[in-house]
Amino acid sequence: MTENTEKPESSCDARRRILNIAVSTVLLETGFESSDRIALETLTEVIQCFFTEVGNSAKSYCELTGRTEPVLGDVMMALINMGISVQGIEQYAARPKRHVIQPPQQASVPRTPAMLSAGSKAKPPPHIPFHLPPLPDPHAYIRTPTHKQPVTEYEAIREKAASQKKDIERALTKFLAKTSETHNLFNTDDNQVYPLIACKPTFPPYLSCLLPTDQVFDFDELEYHFQVANRTEDLPADKKDQSDNEGDNGGDNENSSQPEIIDIPMSSPERLKSGG
Amino acid sequence: MQMSRIGSPSVGMDEDSGAGHALSDFLLQLENYNPSIPDSVVAYYLNMAGFESQDPRMIRLIALASQKFLSDIANDALQHCKMRTSSQINQSSKNAKGPKEKKYVMSMEDLVPALQEYGISAKKPHYYV
Repeated sequence: MTENTEKPESSCDARRRILNIAVSTVLLETGFESSDRIALETLTEVIQCFFTEVGNSAKSYCELTGRTEPVLGDVMMALINMGISVQGIEQYAARPKRHVIQPPQQASVPRTPAMLSAGSKAKPPPHIPFHLPPLPDPHAYIRTPTHKQPVTEYEAIREKAASQKKDIERALTKFLAKTSETHNLFNTDDNQVYPLIACKPTFPPYLSCLLPTDQVFDFDELEYHFQVANRTEDLPADKKDQSDNEGDNGGDNENSSQPEIIDIPMSSPERLKSGG
Repeated sequence: MQMSRIGSPSVGMDEDSGAGHALSDFLLQLENYNPSIPDSVVAYYLNMAGFESQDPRMIRLIALASQKFLSDIANDALQHCKMRTSSQINQSSKNAKGPKEKKYVMSMEDLVPALQEYGISAKKPHYYV
């Protein structure tokens, strides 16, 4: 009746199984070939209660006399109190055929390997007792910066900014040369060597100088006004003409015009008045 | 831990006080004998009850006592079993295995009266309730 003790979920299952094995051994010695499961469990229960009773009783006898560690006499008293003869034990120990072969004790469950351990744990300082748990990984309580201290010298920073600006300009011009229209200096069809970004001349060229523009603080807000506030699709026809006339800047008639028309500084040349 | 001898034996050991000492001496010296139940299991159950001992010999003594207790019960159950099977064998004419049937199976029918003699009443239900 050999039984393999497998790893149980709880520790008391293993001990229970070992008791089962021990009981089976005793039954084998007595002469039984097999037994009912329920009989085996009953006997295991009996033996477990026996241990509990002897332990409890011996401890009580021990404490009765004012001691804390039980002695042989306490155990004897407990056994006698339970009605077990102590002389028979010696005879039983010397019985001729006895099964002393028992499956050896299971080795302890292997400790899970230390995962996610970075570096070696530091030695504890001498003022800490040795029985306390070891220090955690050093990265748990030591902080080292992940980058170097940046350069704060004025010259180096100026130089860095200037080189970055140069790089940006070069990169952007290359990008524009590759994507938008290019102007060719040489008389070849395809120019890849020295592309120039094509310049789109406006007509007349001096127009932007002649048209004074207001100082724009926020281009997004400006665009919003131009798109939403000055929409002419929904206005009736007569107001549309008035908004066309009021579309330029610098005009004195705007003060008397409707207040909802917003002054747009950038206007097309068609709306230009002679006095602009 | 010092094993101090109990100077005055208790009430129940008047006539065999010498034997009690001899027994304790004998068993204390019987270190090479290992009982069937491992020491750690016995120690675990004793610790659960509050009994802790640093001396392995005492643990072995208790293990041995429990083993003897079990074997006594098992012997009584075997007697019951033999009584029952011998009456059956006398009735059966053909028996190839000899006068006694060799295989004995321990069942609750044998165990319950054996435990009854020791004062342990084991009443198990016949089916799950």
